[in-house]
Amino acid sequence: MRIYEKVIKKPWPYWVGGILLALLNISLLLATGSPWSITTGLLYWAAAIMERLGFRPADWYYFNNSYEYGLKAGQGFLFNTYTVLNIAIIIGALIAVLWAKEFKWKRVKNIKQFLFALGGGIIMGYGTRLSFGCNIGAYFSAIPSFSLHGWVFAAFMFVGAWIGSKILFKYIL
Amino acid sequence: MTSSRIEELKRQRQTELKKRGNQLPYAIAATAAALVIYFALVKYNMSFSYYWIIGILLGITMQRSRFCFSASFRDPIMVGSTSLLKAIIMALFISSIGFFIIQYRAYLMNPSHQLKQIPGQLHPMGIHTAIGAILFGIGMVIAGGCASGVLVRIGEGYIMQVMVLIGFLIGTTIGARHFEFWDRILISKAPIVYLPHHIGYFPALLLQLLLLVILYFIADWYDKKNNIMSTM
Repeated sequence: MRIYEKVIKKPWPYWVGGILLALLNISLLLATGSPWSITTGLLYWAAAIMERLGFRPADWYYFNNSYEYGLKAGQGFLFNTYTVLNIAIIIGALIAVLWAKEFKWKRVKNIKQFLFALGGGIIMGYGTRLSFGCNIGAYFSAIPSFSLHGWVFAAFMFVGAWIGSKILFKYIL
Repeated sequence: MTSSRIEELKRQRQTELKKRGNQLPYAIAATAAALVIYFALVKYNMSFSYYWIIGILLGITMQRSRFCFSASFRDPIMVGSTSLLKAIIMALFISSIGFFIIQYRAYLMNPSHQLKQIPGQLHPMGIHTAIGAILFGIGMVIAGGCASGVLVRIGEGYIMQVMVLIGFLIGTTIGARHFEFWDRILISKAPIVYLPHHIGYFPALLLQLLLLVILYFIADWYDKKNNIMSTM
């Protein structure tokens, strides 16, 4: 019962989370040859939707250049390693929150919150195409890869977060 | 707030907890389903099974430790707290060592390797990185979560994060459509700077670890000075 309280019910300290995330990221690189990244998978989902709508995203410049963002052989925009990883993260969080008996549908409170969620998402999503990833792919996995773009991303994400905080103070709080 | 109001809130919370008490059957079902999918993937595609099980563990870890990459950057600015940032610096320290061993082993096995063969996230560095990072930073603070946080919170039942995800899909599609433009004016001219190729493998590792230690102590000092939550 005490283990249940400690591990399942109470939040873990941040440093425990940090150490585990680092070990999992190393395991992923070791097992699959590529570290943790999220946003390419999200773009693939968008491309899958575009395909359904009759567009042909596979022909876009983005998927046909030297940066190798095209689909790997045998994978589709919907079914690929990114999708497996991203869905697994959602399911993992769901499992954790159910064991803690804390799952609850939480609705959007008002139209303002809705617009900020959507707008923030759009700005964030656009940014990731320029920076080759989000704060996972271009930061949490890039800095340990010894690629200097990860440090540049970290520094300027701070600038962005500062601007975002100012906007937040002005319009939301 | 009057004490009767507090009592009322307490009672509300009690009934809410009772109502939520029957989540264990769902927890068992979800865990069982995740395991069934894992074993199916082991049979069907070994590589997919690694992604699945590690993804599940990442989700559990992020949910249990309330980890949020977006908050790690926002909290120092908004409330002066760096406890999350320190945890991330610690994580970067550990993963730098782990990634280094994997990369160095790859180098020893094939000393004449090309940049593309190095395991990890190696991408061009330049003005586009800065523009993208600033946009990303603004977006994640306004939306109240980054890509990883959005996935975790969708799992927790937040509808708002589904809206963030939809926004993200729209934005990232527009970004991908504009990629040719950005590639022509900026990205194609930017180099990939892989530190070990410039200063050597072990100096790169030592430099990075030293930098992370220094950042950790700066973050620690900043927290003690600015954290409005601390009792000091």
